[in-house]
Amino acid sequence: MTVEAPVFEEAPPQVEPARGPMDWARKNLFNNWYNSLLTLALAALVIWALVALLRGLLSAEYEIIRANLRLFMIGEFPADQLWRPWAATYCFAVMLGMVGGSIAAGARDRASEAGLPYVRTTLRQVVIRFWPILALIAVILSFTTTVTPTLLTIGALVVGLGSYYLGRVLPRAVRRWTWLIAVVLIAASYISLAGFGGVGWQGWGGLQLNLFLTFAGLLVAFPFGLLLAMGRRSSLPVIRTISVGYIELVRGVPLITVLIAGAFAIGFIIPRDIRPGFVTRMLIAIIAFEAAYIAEVVRGGLQAVPRGQVEAAQAVGLAPWKTMRLIVLPQALRATIPAMVGQFISLFKDTTLVAVLGITELLEATFVVNSQTAYLGKGLFVVTLSFAALIFWVGCYTMSRESRRLERKLGVGER
Amino acid sequence: MTVTDYSDATRATGDAIIELVGVDKFFGNFQALKDINMRVGQQEVVVVIGPSGGGKSTLIRCINRLEKHDAGRLVVDGIELSDDVRNIQEVRRETGMVFQQFNLFPHLTVLDNVTLAPRQVRKLPKKDAEALAMQTLTRVKIPEQARKYPGQLSGGQQQRVAIARALAMQPKVMLFDEPTSALDPEMIKEVLDVMVELGRGGMTMVVVTHEMGFARAVANRVVFMAEGEIVEVGTPEHFFTDPQEVRTKLFLSQIL
Repeated sequence: MTVEAPVFEEAPPQVEPARGPMDWARKNLFNNWYNSLLTLALAALVIWALVALLRGLLSAEYEIIRANLRLFMIGEFPADQLWRPWAATYCFAVMLGMVGGSIAAGARDRASEAGLPYVRTTLRQVVIRFWPILALIAVILSFTTTVTPTLLTIGALVVGLGSYYLGRVLPRAVRRWTWLIAVVLIAASYISLAGFGGVGWQGWGGLQLNLFLTFAGLLVAFPFGLLLAMGRRSSLPVIRTISVGYIELVRGVPLITVLIAGAFAIGFIIPRDIRPGFVTRMLIAIIAFEAAYIAEVVRGGLQAVPRGQVEAAQAVGLAPWKTMRLIVLPQALRATIPAMVGQFISLFKDTTLVAVLGITELLEATFVVNSQTAYLGKGLFVVTLSFAALIFWVGCYTMSRESRRLERKLGVGER
Repeated sequence: MTVTDYSDATRATGDAIIELVGVDKFFGNFQALKDINMRVGQQEVVVVIGPSGGGKSTLIRCINRLEKHDAGRLVVDGIELSDDVRNIQEVRRETGMVFQQFNLFPHLTVLDNVTLAPRQVRKLPKKDAEALAMQTLTRVKIPEQARKYPGQLSGGQQQRVAIARALAMQPKVMLFDEPTSALDPEMIKEVLDVMVELGRGGMTMVVVTHEMGFARAVANRVVFMAEGEIVEVGTPEHFFTDPQEVRTKLFLSQIL
């Protein structure tokens, strides 16, 4: 079969070939007198801002960060107990490495069983994936005064990497228990911080406290949020009303209100001798607050599971709670991962609000150091706040990158 | 009109395993089923046809209580469906169902889809459940797909997995709700072939479908439903050669 080429009466319209950036600029930035004026003005503004920023960064006094780095990282943790945060860091390095390794091995095995191609992640890809975090670690280490933290950090990275490979080569029977190993390691990290004469979370501060409040807050709030979400869909009016009432009440109030209410209401209600400290009260308030938000996230996931899934489970005789546990929840929770990461990001930033009760988390720490006599009146707020901002930005940016990556991955092949 | 075995919905061939007496079903003010009386005998294959919105799907969804009937009696294998949850579970264990949209569990492999109910409901050990699953997958001719996920299979393959999933519970009755309606034309045959074999193998089946070729091959009776009522009942031959009611003739002229 032959296809005759279409014959044009007139020549097809000529597309002008691009002639490089100069041509583009002339067409888009300088095509008439007022656009040219705007372009020049904005260019001047941008250049001025960049120069100012660069000059600020170069001439700033970083002594304030160098001197207070420990306060920013771990608050007022006793200086002779520094091995404790490091021990905890190593526990986390092992934990993250092993969990990551066993997840990778699981994906590899599932792919090979299903006959799908599996592409192994290379170290280079991991570095590209987490470059903001690695860069941040380098920046922080550049403010240390001795070589020990750098060596210990490199050690932790190596241990983490080793654990990753260990997690990958573990036999399947052992891999099934990785979650238990993770739980044990998390417990071990807490014991190494607080146990045997250490400091419990009541005395924590700095970035360590922000991370603790975020992880512990979300982890504990999750089951409550799950229950609230299921309660909201319950056919029993009492449970449904209570769930909806709680969710809407909490979601209608700013977090800071809940924090203050938590701090003082708990103080009033609970008798003095068993009254929890401020950090614990904050944690309780955060959990109460996050549970409502998680409930709404999970509800979205539950609604994303088609009705037919439940019907198919019912038709084969699965009991309602098994239908929920084996069919609905796995699909619903998978659908909520991106939104949960979003929740994580916003809580990480919101943990700075506990500063209203005088708790020295990272942001508050970067604020109060400016009233130390050496730096008083020097106007170094910009320096210290930028440092805090960088840490928060890297954390949130990394999470949001990972979330987008997960979204892409879950969108393909799994459904 | 002479009453024969085949033109009376309440006369099953042999012992009745499904029995509907005066069943009504409402969705709000809309009556989806109007006074349905019907019996299905052991090893009988009943094909239900009729225009959409006529109550066919509602009828078979009531049989395993995916829909609750509002009036009348509904008995499956000697168990009357009521609000008693144990009875409902019992009936669901005895009836397999195949849906138009397959409704496979996308997060589980084919093998896990099929072994789920035997393990969770029948409490079979993993090994036995997997052996049984491979047996049923062989019966629907796709044992080699056991380790794949539903999303990797074609529509026809997915529907056959859905049939295997239902068969793995070793049900006494199989319900099919338009099993080939969501399939591309070239895949309909592979599913119908499995269903024909099932019917010839003695499975009791109630099938909502417009595949009259299937009805001719294995159906003992065809039930024509419209507007929530059973309009006409007969052998497949009767519907091909001698439909009585005006609505039946009109409908058949549209699908044949």
